[in-house]
Amino acid sequence: MTDIGYVLLVVALIAAVYSAIAFVIGRRQGKPALVESGRNAVLAVCGLLTLCVAALLYLILTHSFQVEYIASYSSRGLPLTYLLSSLWAGNEGSVLFWAWVLSILAAIMVVQKRDVGADLVPYAGAVTMLTETFFLVLLLFVANPFRLLPFTPPDGNGLNPLLQNPGMFFHPPFLLGGYVGFTIPFAFAVSALLSNRLGDEWLVVVRRWTLVAWIMLSIGNLFGGWWAYVELGWGGYFAWDPVENASFMPWLTATAFLHSMMMQRRRGILKVWNIVLIVATFALSILGTFLTRSGVLNSVHSFASSPLLGSMYLGFIAVTLFGSLYLLYLRFPDLRSEAEMESLVSRESTFLLNNLLLVGATFAILLGTFFPIISEAVRGVKVSVGPPFFNWVNGPIFLAVVLLAGVCTLIGWRRASLKNLRHNFLWPGIAGVVLAALLFALGVRRHPVALLAFTACGFVVFTIVSELLRAAGARHRIRGENILKASWGLVTANRPRYGGYLVHIGVVLMAIGIVGSQAFNVEREATLKPGESVTVNRYVVTYDSHDEYQTQNKSTYTAALTVSNGGHFLTRLAPQKYFYADTQQTVTEVAIRSTWAEDLYVIPVGTQDDGTATFKVIVNPLVKWLWTGGTILVLGGVVAFWPNRRKAAPAPARAQGEHDGT
Amino acid sequence: MGPKRVAAALVGAALAVSLVAGPAAAATTSEIANQLICQCGCYAVLANCTHGECDVRDGMTSYISQKLADGQSESQIVEYFVSQYGEKVLSSPPKRGFNLTAWLLPFAAILAAGVGVFFAVRAWVKRGVNEHVPTRVVADPDDAAYEQRLEAELREYDDRGFR
Repeated sequence: MTDIGYVLLVVALIAAVYSAIAFVIGRRQGKPALVESGRNAVLAVCGLLTLCVAALLYLILTHSFQVEYIASYSSRGLPLTYLLSSLWAGNEGSVLFWAWVLSILAAIMVVQKRDVGADLVPYAGAVTMLTETFFLVLLLFVANPFRLLPFTPPDGNGLNPLLQNPGMFFHPPFLLGGYVGFTIPFAFAVSALLSNRLGDEWLVVVRRWTLVAWIMLSIGNLFGGWWAYVELGWGGYFAWDPVENASFMPWLTATAFLHSMMMQRRRGILKVWNIVLIVATFALSILGTFLTRSGVLNSVHSFASSPLLGSMYLGFIAVTLFGSLYLLYLRFPDLRSEAEMESLVSRESTFLLNNLLLVGATFAILLGTFFPIISEAVRGVKVSVGPPFFNWVNGPIFLAVVLLAGVCTLIGWRRASLKNLRHNFLWPGIAGVVLAALLFALGVRRHPVALLAFTACGFVVFTIVSELLRAAGARHRIRGENILKASWGLVTANRPRYGGYLVHIGVVLMAIGIVGSQAFNVEREATLKPGESVTVNRYVVTYDSHDEYQTQNKSTYTAALTVSNGGHFLTRLAPQKYFYADTQQTVTEVAIRSTWAEDLYVIPVGTQDDGTATFKVIVNPLVKWLWTGGTILVLGGVVAFWPNRRKAAPAPARAQGEHDGT
Repeated sequence: MGPKRVAAALVGAALAVSLVAGPAAAATTSEIANQLICQCGCYAVLANCTHGECDVRDGMTSYISQKLADGQSESQIVEYFVSQYGEKVLSSPPKRGFNLTAWLLPFAAILAAGVGVFFAVRAWVKRGVNEHVPTRVVADPDDAAYEQRLEAELREYDDRGFR
């Protein structure tokens, strides 16, 4: 089976190279048959890689430990779900997964029927297949998942216990799906440059592709944060680790791109900028993969430290960047803005500001992530750049981004008059001031930054909700629909706009959760005898007893805790600690009581010989808002993505007004 | 001094104060632990070391608690760790010398780019007004019917901030 897998990879490589060549020659020489042949080769690559993945899965499920990858990342005792996840748990498997997902997306891209952009497909297909070629070369020469060991071990190493969590089952495939997904918009951008079709065509084609990748990356990041929170046991969800930053940066630039593409479509500006953004997004996606595998930066997430693999990724990033920027340079004269701004104060300007801030945040994160290397090169001194730096630098930027989500709703497209502005800002402004006063009175004043942030969040929610109600009200009056039906009709009639608003509400809820849990968390560590209690805020946590038992692969310690508040019983919690003898690894399982107000988060720190046990108890306010906001953000993305019903023979007229998008 | 200058001076002063002041005086073990990186190899902030059991984390944390109990100041304790492990033990580079590049460059870049954007928009507006470029309408065939309906709604409600 390993030989079959290897041969499938070799044939897929040949098909990918052939496909790229056929697309280029077919397009340049105007030979549709050759382009068609390239298209078929893409389908072949997809089929071959699907078989390849099936072969690896078969080897995993049949515990073929003579395969090095399977011996490293699975074992006989692993439940079926995590046996499946070992497909992408290690370096080689994840590269195969990447190549496979890319081949599926490429296949969808070439078989899709399209009203616009059909001429861009051959070059886009060639770029996608060249990217595929890179990953297939990696798989065949540097990261072969079918490599055999010189012996067959009786059992595998198993999956790291920390990764045996539902969050970790979903996090990697969605994250990788997001990374891979940006290949298609990138390929269309390069195709637009190569074929000198620099109008809006490529943007029309890539909008949904970008949204899909953006949604996947959002889900991947959310699952990653949730996993860190419930499994890693330090009470947080984002540690500004280089690899976490690497998955956040393309999300930021893609978010900027989703906004800036609207500017090109509406006003004919930012043509160069849009190409730069999608190239940057793609390069940053590869950068994340480079960071996990090169060992150049210290990270919690590194799972391979191969200089060869690292330099190959770096080479690929360099080729991508310089190649596309050179093309951009060549086409620069054709990418002149059409100059259609009417006023400095307009919704358009808020979009430009939004881009500036999102890309500014990306730059800040990139600089911080690589600053240890820069510092060592310049001063010869190693430094660490952790959460205090990133929070300090990004806090004001993200606050401005959130505020902008509200402000943009209040400023009209094209031109805003002073009277118009005064009218629009009056009620949201008053709402903001009232909210600030209320929060001040409620005691949030001890943290001025949080007061400012919560006020901004409240302001944004007020503006969006009142905008929705006003629009629904208008529809209700004109069409006589009830408010619910009018709201639904509004959303379905213009999904990009209202999906965008939903995303903004999600972002605001997430911001509330992040600020709440960062600014007001309280923690206490206590060593308790059975029967003793520790009080944190309003919670009294009593250590009742403990239980210890041995199973086949681990010993388990479970503490029984009772949580009460002012004498009233609230809940029982059972934090656990596992010790895996074979890997000599201790894993903590935190216990969480989650409400809309706050999470009570108990970490079992350790036990002592005298029968005492040490617990870290954290009260983390508003964390549930973060997960809820994240879910709404994803839903908003899906609403914005959802295709409208195709209408019969739409006229290709330039006929869209001011309502598309937020 | 005009209001713009006053505002600029205030922003400048606030930035300067926040740079000089740095983090607020820390008094607890966990506040100091947040300023340090665990040296066990996890690369996480000391307070967030994710290892189930970690002697290095426990050693560093108990040193902090011990020295705080002995009456040492936050800076003395942090200084001790820097002398032991070098600057890399700090969870963020100290705000001085070359490190200021990392702390300030993002804001400088955003400001500079902001100025660039301002002038670009001004130029676009000026050119747009002078040349009377017609407002761009963008093709999205699906939206034609909705467009007509919405334009009618917009005409009716524009003055009430519907947009």
